[in-house]
Amino acid sequence: MKKRITVSVLSLSAMMALAACGNDSADGGGSSDQVKLTLMSTATTKADQDIFKEIVTDFEKEHPEIDIEDTYPGDGYEDLARVKMAADDMPDLFDTHGWAKSRYGEYTEDLSDMEWAANLDEAMKPILTDDEGKLHAYPINQALDGLSYNKTLLDEYGIEAPSTFDEFMTALEAVKEKSNGEVVPFWLGGSDKSQFGQYFDEFSTPLLITDKEDSYKEELLDGSFDWSNYTYLPEKLKEMNDKGLLNEDVLTAQVTQGAELMAQNKIAFTMLNGSVGREVTGLNPEVQVGTMPVPAIQEGDSPSWIGGERLTLAVAKKSEHLEEAKQFIEYIAQPEVAKKFAEGTSLPAALTNVEADNYFAEFYKQYEGTQIQPYFDRVYLPSGMWDPMGATGQELIAGTMTPKQVSEKMAQEYTRLRGE
Amino acid sequence: MDQLSSRTKWLLTGLALMITAFHLIPFYILITTSLKKAGDFTSKWAFPSNFDTENFALAWEQANLGNAFINTAIITVFAAVLLIFFGSMAAYALARRTTKLNKYVYMLFVGVMVIPPLTALVPLYRLVVDFGMMNTHLVAILNNVAAFMPLTIFLYAGFIRSTIPKELEEAAKIDGASTLGVFFKIVFPLLKPITATVLIISSVYIWNDYQFAIFFLQDSSVQTLTVALAGFFGQNSSQLNLVAAAALMASLPMVIVFLFLQRYFIEGLAAGSVKG
Amino acid sequence: MAGTLTKASEKTKTKSRKMKKSRRESSLWWMYLPSVLIVVLFIIYPFLDGIRISFTNWNGFSQTYDYIGLDQYKRMFADPDTWLVVKNTLLYGIGSTILQNIAGLGYALLLNHNLKVRSFTRTIIYLPVIISPLIMGYIWYFFFAFQGGALNDIFLLFGKDPINALGNPAVNPYIIVFVNTFQFVGIAMIIYLAGLQSISKDYYEAANIDGATGWQKFKNITIPLLMPSITINMVLNIIGGLKLFDVIVALTNGGPGNASQSMSTFMYNLYFARQDAGYAATQGVLMAIIILIISMAALLYFKRKEVEA
Repeated sequence: MKKRITVSVLSLSAMMALAACGNDSADGGGSSDQVKLTLMSTATTKADQDIFKEIVTDFEKEHPEIDIEDTYPGDGYEDLARVKMAADDMPDLFDTHGWAKSRYGEYTEDLSDMEWAANLDEAMKPILTDDEGKLHAYPINQALDGLSYNKTLLDEYGIEAPSTFDEFMTALEAVKEKSNGEVVPFWLGGSDKSQFGQYFDEFSTPLLITDKEDSYKEELLDGSFDWSNYTYLPEKLKEMNDKGLLNEDVLTAQVTQGAELMAQNKIAFTMLNGSVGREVTGLNPEVQVGTMPVPAIQEGDSPSWIGGERLTLAVAKKSEHLEEAKQFIEYIAQPEVAKKFAEGTSLPAALTNVEADNYFAEFYKQYEGTQIQPYFDRVYLPSGMWDPMGATGQELIAGTMTPKQVSEKMAQEYTRLRGE
Repeated sequence: MDQLSSRTKWLLTGLALMITAFHLIPFYILITTSLKKAGDFTSKWAFPSNFDTENFALAWEQANLGNAFINTAIITVFAAVLLIFFGSMAAYALARRTTKLNKYVYMLFVGVMVIPPLTALVPLYRLVVDFGMMNTHLVAILNNVAAFMPLTIFLYAGFIRSTIPKELEEAAKIDGASTLGVFFKIVFPLLKPITATVLIISSVYIWNDYQFAIFFLQDSSVQTLTVALAGFFGQNSSQLNLVAAAALMASLPMVIVFLFLQRYFIEGLAAGSVKG
Repeated sequence: MAGTLTKASEKTKTKSRKMKKSRRESSLWWMYLPSVLIVVLFIIYPFLDGIRISFTNWNGFSQTYDYIGLDQYKRMFADPDTWLVVKNTLLYGIGSTILQNIAGLGYALLLNHNLKVRSFTRTIIYLPVIISPLIMGYIWYFFFAFQGGALNDIFLLFGKDPINALGNPAVNPYIIVFVNTFQFVGIAMIIYLAGLQSISKDYYEAANIDGATGWQKFKNITIPLLMPSITINMVLNIIGGLKLFDVIVALTNGGPGNASQSMSTFMYNLYFARQDAGYAATQGVLMAIIILIISMAALLYFKRKEVEA
């Protein structure tokens, strides 16, 4: 009898051991005295990933005792990060993409005593620091989001960058007319929900925040917001689609196709930002890409940039290699490395002692003094709204939801996620 | 049924060839796409004028396929071996000893077959996290073993009941062999045909598994082929030629195995369906 | 019979422990203990725990949550997405089953003739079974894609406007059914072929003497004698179709919105993207119940037919 139990227990444990052996053999490589750091970033475009990899390699050359295993899950970043949080198993270095305090706050190490903290851009401080003075992450660059457009093409058509939503609609129709329908006035890579999310998120700011008379800041924050005020955005998106101002394949187009199509002069406006300019000009040197702040919607209001940290790195509180992880952050915070990083990603650096050249520099100069607003969902919506924001956009275009239903769905999710 | 007029025979052959051509479409598209240069936007139907095998090297490198192959192979081999070892043993006991307890246990295994694996996902996920088994080969192996265990036992038990004569075991028993000895020395070798079926069905599914792998093997060092490919597709959706090359390479090992062992695949499936 | 012989082999052992021991030993439970443990740990326990989580508002990652009674169930029945997703799941399950069986039986009847191309055709039709459903989904994505897809190349050739089939919620669930059928029709075909070959020729010869037509032979001999194969195919295909996941991920990712979502992909989305694990678990319970009812119903129905035949 005992023998039998022993047999089954033994075979079970043998099986575990066998499987575990298989495990080790795959992990192999890298000498044992080397410290291994895991790094997970939201860098999605090829240009962003390339500069990231380059800087990681440079660092490893300088510090042969540290081996950084960098991964870029792209679209799957948020899913993966949630899994890792649930497992309390965050990578040593990870991206907080706008949720440094609320979503990732429990898992980050305080970085406020690091040298670069003194040079942090004023706009970044409140976003990354909590009430107790804990600094949650290092911002690699900062975003100034709005719309990007094919400047060469618009100049040819004699269309000016719009500063109000109505002007924007007029510009789109003008593109359609002047190109005989050959150029897509407003292109979205909507197989990725986040493209619709980007539209709603950016335009929510002029609709609901910046105008003094139509500001719903408080209602949004205390939960009393009436979502019928949001219906304007889905209505306008539907109107664009009905008028043929969006790409015909808006529901299946892939974000990565955007730059290519723009380089072929097939797109006028997009919601792509950052490195898209360099990428397009790289593919076709004759095309210049312009960028512009989000047009105003309410009368008397002015346009605004959507800003905030773009790529960040936080150190996991439970990391076994806190020192080495901080060492990497120290390395990338050096002015010359930070400059390289900012230029590689075509976005401004987030440190005051860094002056980086930028593809869009002349446009930023042109719009100097324009107000900078934070990402709408990061400040005014509970964590988890990004998915319904994009999904409802897809349903709207697919015709399975009306603009009113979009607002109702948003209201439902908003109430549910606030309740948590 | 074979006294067909030669005209009918020609017609049927033509029909069969048309069906074959239809079923070849996806493979044809996969191959032409994988051979095209980046920026070659000619029709998917057109065969590329000059081959570009560079895609394969590039895709292999960028999708990290080498590593994924090793992971997939480890998981498939270990899971299949464990399935056959424990499954055949369990089926033997359940098929040969029809005690009340064994009847309930057998019913349990059959009942588990209808539970869709994803319904247990959330708690399974927590369990795996609690055991510290996230991103290990072990979790993928055990998951696949659990998922295929009921079917394996079902197939083995059916085969043992219908084709293995008890007399052999009885003779051995009288000679003083232990139960385990009887099973491995006498019964197991006779199970070869159904073992082939189990091996083939489970290996194909485990090799191609995506549902489990995407949840539990998200770390790049343990990624299997399907997970690596899904990630690669997401990053390169504008470079379908690379995706096609990666997909072709990922499928090739199983296709080659299939073409060589085709007889066993088809006979195994047929045997399983008739006997089960 | 097994019992008597076990006893015989035990005769050498002491009589006092014989009864107790032989009763326990005759189950040989230790031989299936490892299998039971694995299945309990990885399927049954998580499944039961899932039922518990469906009564909570867990978001999927935080360490705390509350029990909220039947709220998730109330929410599920009031949620229009639930019914859309159930409808899709049934379409994938039942639609693929019907198509796979019609095509599988047709192919088997054709290849049951002694044609020269027979084994080549059989190989090609079966080949997709070997390929990962995810990859098969990608290949068909190349076919149906709006930009540069193979289908639209044909449309353009004939001067027609290209269509965006995968972005059209009225069409794309059917494309998913088609791709799933295409992939697994080989299994149905092989099982039917095996079934056809086990039917004795004598039946047909007797029917020929009676002057039966081809259709009569098919209806009165082939179908009744194929019933066991039909049962297996129906049950296998329906379970496979209801659980569909990979193909959907590859072709439409459940979109646009939730238009082509199955219960599997919907749960995945709820759990990961929507921070809604409690609700995901509730949907999981519903899915298990639906699959249980349908597969049991199919099994019982066709088993009864088998007996009648």
